Amino acid sequence: MKRKILATLLSAFMAASLFTGCGSSSSGTTSADGVEEITFMFWDDLNATEDLISLGYKDTIDRFNKDYEGKYHVNVVTTNLEEYYTKLNAEIQGGKAPDVFICSPGPQLSDYVIPGGCAPADGLCMNLDEYLAQDGWKDTFTSDAVFSQQTYDGSVYAIPLNTAAACCFYNTEMFEAAGAKVPTNWDEMLDACEKLEAAGYTPVTVSGGTAWCLSMIAGYLCESEGVDLAALADGTASWEDGKLESACNKLLELSKYFQPTAVGDTNDVATANFYNEEAAILIQGSWAIGQINGSAPEFESKCGVFQFPGVDRIIAKSDSLCVSKDTASPEACVALLKYFTDDTAQKYTAEVGGKIPVTNVEYDASKAPAQLSYVMDVFSNAKGTFGFYNESMPTTETGAYFDDEMVAVFLGDKTPAEAAADMEAYYNENCRQ
Amino acid sequence: MDKLLRNKKAIIIFMAPGIILFTVILFIPIVQSVIYSLCEYEATSLTGPKFVGLKNYAALLKDDTFLIALKNSLFFLIFSCVTQLVMGLFFAGLLTNIDKGRNLFKNIIYLPCVLSSAALGLLWMFIFSPKFGINKLIETLGVTDFVKNGPLWLMDTKGFIVLPMWVIGFVSLWQYVGQSMMLYMAQISGISKSLYEASYIDGCSKAKSFRYITLPLIRPMVATAMSLNAIGSLKFFDLVFNMTEGGPNHRTEVLATHLYTQGFKYNHFGYSSAIGVVLLILCLITTGFINKVVKTEQYEM
Repeated sequence: MKRKILATLLSAFMAASLFTGCGSSSSGTTSADGVEEITFMFWDDLNATEDLISLGYKDTIDRFNKDYEGKYHVNVVTTNLEEYYTKLNAEIQGGKAPDVFICSPGPQLSDYVIPGGCAPADGLCMNLDEYLAQDGWKDTFTSDAVFSQQTYDGSVYAIPLNTAAACCFYNTEMFEAAGAKVPTNWDEMLDACEKLEAAGYTPVTVSGGTAWCLSMIAGYLCESEGVDLAALADGTASWEDGKLESACNKLLELSKYFQPTAVGDTNDVATANFYNEEAAILIQGSWAIGQINGSAPEFESKCGVFQFPGVDRIIAKSDSLCVSKDTASPEACVALLKYFTDDTAQKYTAEVGGKIPVTNVEYDASKAPAQLSYVMDVFSNAKGTFGFYNESMPTTETGAYFDDEMVAVFLGDKTPAEAAADMEAYYNENCRQ
Repeated sequence: MDKLLRNKKAIIIFMAPGIILFTVILFIPIVQSVIYSLCEYEATSLTGPKFVGLKNYAALLKDDTFLIALKNSLFFLIFSCVTQLVMGLFFAGLLTNIDKGRNLFKNIIYLPCVLSSAALGLLWMFIFSPKFGINKLIETLGVTDFVKNGPLWLMDTKGFIVLPMWVIGFVSLWQYVGQSMMLYMAQISGISKSLYEASYIDGCSKAKSFRYITLPLIRPMVATAMSLNAIGSLKFFDLVFNMTEGGPNHRTEVLATHLYTQGFKYNHFGYSSAIGVVLLILCLITTGFINKVVKTEQYEM
């Protein structure tokens, strides 16, 4: 009899557990003690990360939860970067969009702002114009230009948290030992790699496993060849005009100096190769400063930065926070956004995280990572910025296609001419009217 | 019993839960997938599914990644069926013929089956990482520069079937051979001892009795185990996803990972449904083929 009762109870429990996922949205709920609960979805594990920028975000959330204790509370949902958008999309499609979530500007943000992509019929992101106008919040930002990638039809749909630039990080000791000079043009870059290799070092570490890392280099090379993405999108230029081919040939020239495991190394592994002093040059966004200094603090003094040679403009992007327009607690969400852009958070961004702040905050340059001032120099010497190539194409999928084509060229699966022809065919089929 | 079987109400009541469950969680989703595979259906699209006929299937034929995935899935199917049959039978034959340590070895071989594939995938990914694991071990044993020059187990991209696919096939064999072994052992232990005794009296060796008694009598189980292997290997996902994520550059993509990417990364529900339907058809053809080839007459044992 006891067994039967136990079996019945267990069966009932199992059946009930099947339906636990079928509840309604938990976003923006109010708990029994009157605290407004909001969810924040992020692409790194805030409790396990060593990334200084992520740790700064954790501090900000802890600060918010403490200051608003009894009124608002943020619950953090984390995932790793590779799975972030898949999980975010699943949450959105399941009607459980997080109240606040991080997003890269470009087609990914567009997916959530413009109806019909991943966003529901009336869009997903909240228009933040009204809130930015209140209490002079917008005036705290360095300029309106910081919102350029977050603005759609004149309205701001996301708040930038910092700016990062893609640069070449290098090991000054290795350069000195190899007698290599900081390159300013493509020939000097190849010359430096040659000297580093002759001195027994792996010249460049790059991730082919995380395709966008390789495609970021391809993006710079395309820029140096004068590829015009806007003209390609509207059909007034062709991928087969020889520019992409030249860029791919340069990529192949440089790839001779990559680490032997570049094809499968992930972004984290490629970055670790650099701060573990297994390679001399890392071509990466300045967000890597937090990761480098967080994992190997002693490496900071050996780490130099130079602009990708042969280009006048630099690749720049910012982490951005969006608010779901369906949130039950918009005030709490905006209060959280304000914490991310207040002086404490922005000072941390510069002084500890090594990223360029988006507000007019005054920070102690002597406290900031040495690399930040080098990045700022690169930034100020550049003649302008442009977005990541894969994030500047008409759709996320087009960007992923470009990434794959560049990896295929690197692997020798396709010739540069074949890659150019494939890109042209893809654009004709999917991107042009 | 006969009285119960004549009671139509009782039959309906007893069969209803199974039929309802089958219909709700299997039959309806399959029909839905077939319908979606004929539609252009982007997740959360404003218009909902739009009928486009066989457009998704035509697109599949032009999709390089799909063709790689199909090739890898078929490789995996053949590799798994052959290796699991051979190794499963080998272990089953071996363990049914030893007395000491039978349960110990049975448990050791079966143990990977009960472990999480996700965790095992990560574990093997570290083992095959070029910087530590096997390459490092071999270098420690005296082969110079093996970490630098050794094989890129999960990264190599040369050859019709790339090295990472063989590696994943090996890991899958290691993980699931215990399951085949258990099925064969169960069947072998059901064979009457008197048959073996009679064969020994007639002068049969152990190998001959295995060939002429064991093998013919376990044919029904061979068909069952092979069908299970075939379906399992066609819908294989977890080890591939955790060891290579389909990379480098989609070289280790299988149908299930491609379906996942198209459905959940790019939200092409119609297109991924078409991949699902291809997968279903492949499973049906393979199972039918195995049941046709491996004759399954039941013998009195």
